[in-house]
Amino acid sequence: MPLSKEEIELIKRILGHEPRAEELAMFESQWSEHCSYKSSRLLLKLLPSHAKHVIIGPGRDAPAVEVFPGVAIVFKIESHNHPSAVDPYNGAATGIGGIVRDILTLGAKPIALLDLLYLGNPRDPHANWLVRNIVKGISDYGNRIGVPTVAGDTWFDKSFNKQPLVNVACIGLVETKKLLTAAPEPGDLILVVGNSTGRDGLLGSSFASRPLSEDTDKDLGAVQVGDPLIEKLLIDVIDELVNRNLVKYIKDLGGGGLTTAISETAADYNLGVEIYLDKLHVRESDLTPLELLVSESQERMLIVTDRSRLRQVVELLEHYEVPYSIIGSFNNSGRIKVYYKEKLVADVPAKDLAHPPALERPYKPPVKVIDLWKSISIPEPNDIADAIVKVFGSLNIVSRRWIYEQYDYGVGIRTVLEPGRADAAVLRLLDGTNRGIAVKGDANPRYTSIDPFRGGANAVAECFRNLVAVGSEPLAIVDELNAGNPEKPEHYWFFAQMVKGVAWMADELKLPVVGGKVSFYNENERGEQVKPTTTIVGIGRIHDVSKTLTIDLKEHGSSIMILGTTYPELGASEYLYVVHGIEAGEVPIPRPSLELRVASLMRQLIRNNYVKSAHDISVGGLIVALLEMAVTGGLGLNIDLSKVPTRGIRRLDELLFSESQARYLIEIDEGNVDKILKLASEYNVEASVIGKVVDKNHIELRYNSRKITVLDLEFLAELYYNNLGKAIEG
Amino acid sequence: MAKIAILKFPGTNCDYDVLWAIKSVGNLDAEIVWYKDFSVKGWDAIIIPGGFSYGDWLRAGAIAARTRAVERIAEAVSQGVPVLGICNGFQILIEAELLPGALLLNDSGKFVCRWIRLKIEKPKGPWLLLAYDGQEVDMPVAHAEGRYYVEDYIQIEALPKIKYLDGWNPNGSAYNIAGIGSSDGLVLGLMPHPERAAEPILVPRGFSTGGSIVFKSISKALKSGW
Repeated sequence: MPLSKEEIELIKRILGHEPRAEELAMFESQWSEHCSYKSSRLLLKLLPSHAKHVIIGPGRDAPAVEVFPGVAIVFKIESHNHPSAVDPYNGAATGIGGIVRDILTLGAKPIALLDLLYLGNPRDPHANWLVRNIVKGISDYGNRIGVPTVAGDTWFDKSFNKQPLVNVACIGLVETKKLLTAAPEPGDLILVVGNSTGRDGLLGSSFASRPLSEDTDKDLGAVQVGDPLIEKLLIDVIDELVNRNLVKYIKDLGGGGLTTAISETAADYNLGVEIYLDKLHVRESDLTPLELLVSESQERMLIVTDRSRLRQVVELLEHYEVPYSIIGSFNNSGRIKVYYKEKLVADVPAKDLAHPPALERPYKPPVKVIDLWKSISIPEPNDIADAIVKVFGSLNIVSRRWIYEQYDYGVGIRTVLEPGRADAAVLRLLDGTNRGIAVKGDANPRYTSIDPFRGGANAVAECFRNLVAVGSEPLAIVDELNAGNPEKPEHYWFFAQMVKGVAWMADELKLPVVGGKVSFYNENERGEQVKPTTTIVGIGRIHDVSKTLTIDLKEHGSSIMILGTTYPELGASEYLYVVHGIEAGEVPIPRPSLELRVASLMRQLIRNNYVKSAHDISVGGLIVALLEMAVTGGLGLNIDLSKVPTRGIRRLDELLFSESQARYLIEIDEGNVDKILKLASEYNVEASVIGKVVDKNHIELRYNSRKITVLDLEFLAELYYNNLGKAIEG
Repeated sequence: MAKIAILKFPGTNCDYDVLWAIKSVGNLDAEIVWYKDFSVKGWDAIIIPGGFSYGDWLRAGAIAARTRAVERIAEAVSQGVPVLGICNGFQILIEAELLPGALLLNDSGKFVCRWIRLKIEKPKGPWLLLAYDGQEVDMPVAHAEGRYYVEDYIQIEALPKIKYLDGWNPNGSAYNIAGIGSSDGLVLGLMPHPERAAEPILVPRGFSTGGSIVFKSISKALKSGW
């Protein structure tokens, strides 16, 4: 977004003179929504970010959480929505590059990636092109840098046909004592390492801070192009620089390029900076000072070291053949002075540049949203088996194998539970112990587009359940809020409500929101916002990765138990959309106190070794969770639906497809049923055995003695594993 | 104690994984060696691990195969030092013509990461010392250019081979070839990743630790010959 008239006046007052072109470009870049959070900063203060185990909260390039004594996890989420809409391959690839570099800034080793993709209908030719190239971009980049892509989330919806949401997250591992927490000091040297600076991505952050234009070709110059080989070299060399204690401070040259990196660093530590642009290693010799300041060329990082260690730093960079330039140093002035060939081209106060005034944006609920919440009257399906197959075969339900098999999820030999096996991915620390972490990302764009408060809250709750279901203890989350145009009060309302929903649920579940990102201007070419979406990525701690739980049924004769209560909550459900073509209704009520009780019970059951497989119940409802367990385990089920604990349920479709929160399915030995029921009542959780695992090729559903339907396991497995590939490749 | 060099190029990414497997499963000493620092002397065996040397630019393995380090590997082979190439390492050995055939883009046109079942045929040499003919093993693959091609099967008929079991060929390889050795088995290359299949904790339900045979074999071979 170009600067507003008021902003230009303010800049004149800050500088005390007519701004030079370079100075104006620096302000435009840094004061963009993408870099400055000017429209979101005030509301983001609502998010709880403190806890005993939080070492670094929001503010740095990435937060850090102590998961075990002396072991820290650094993790962060990022969006590359706008670049991916214009150039899906490079847009998605450079999203991976950027998030990995954020993790490197704290000295952590990147050990896992997640991709959270909200994509258009793959049967639409344009959306199909986006889907294939976004996945290929992540595959080619992520695989080449040797960081496994272990988990994610995918949603298909025609609202994303032109403007997809590409959110990526990275997880890093570092010894707490090696975390780079030091501050740069006056006299310290500034190096730019990695890729040379070119003309790509000029003012890319500014481009990401406005709606897509009609003619997207014009924006192509604002999309960066990635080079994963240099990124991999950066990963290796930073690992060694940190291990040998040669650097003090690192920052990514991401959105806003050099301008953002130096102005934020100087502002954060009350420093001034002197830099010499002609020292930068460049791709093209005719770059102007302005272009050098705002270029967003990828795979560049700013590293800070003192003069005594410079020689060793340089030796190491040369050994690994990583290009670098020493461009300047810090001082006490509080000003950023930029020189080009001995000429002063910019002189601005660091703090004023880094932190534009926050904007208090007005918001109001769109009237048509309220209308979506009215009661919905639908006929009960005549053919329930047909409805089940339609929901189970929905692209929002079926296996994501077509996507995750294009990712190297095993490199690094930490991946204990890879994609497709469990509710969350599990990684071992690989430190000779059995300790590890669980990671998962979740969103439901339909929920947040109908009721952003509940949708935001439910995304947090679902991530929490997924982490619990594998047997981990959830520790922290990061959020990505994908919203529309903050200048439009009816768009901004969604953002405000999503923040409040996340803040409330995170508080209730005692999950600190340690970091996050905001993406505005996710609109189509007609100025309509795409479905506003809250994406949550969470991590959990695991003491023994060999005891983690997968979703696949294990054994003939086991009992299937449901934990939690099912309410008539079909609003905004997958069933309502797939079978009745309705995207409306009341989004399921978030139930934090029940979430906490069921989660405590789950952890107790897992500690007692009672649970053989576990699965959280979410989109698609009870029946989908049951079928997923059967299909992945290759075993059949006999289920009596009359045994499901319910409240207010009157119809079979409500029972099968309700998306009530705070529910899990577990597979257990029959002999433990009484002990588990006793524990459930101690934890004040409704629980009931609803059926048995059978070594047969079908799933039989009945209600008391009334037979409802019998579904063929092989047919369902074919649907589950191949439907997505068919939809994309035809 | 025998010592193994794990050769690292710009873009190699399975170096640490192989180091871990060599130490924890093979109980051998090993070191990651930057390609420029590599010399033949002092190594009892050499492994070129997986990854994307030089970003797979041009063709997978093509640039690394033309480095001084790989010339030295050819010297090492002539001196009787065992060499193993895994995934990108296999691609490099093929590009360097230390093993026959070619590795092409997968028939799906896409990268594929998946556990598969394999069968070892005519095992020979230090890397497959403990394997028997027809032994079935499981490992994951993770590659985009792994479709093996050879003009005539006669060229490779007598060689040690690792084949995908019928129905498990992930890339359209000719004759289900997943890996191939030199006639004496001193050089072995394979697309699947033994280092990811050497510990039970990494193995999904329904598969087994098929990779450990490689590390146990080299360990025994370097201790008591082959």
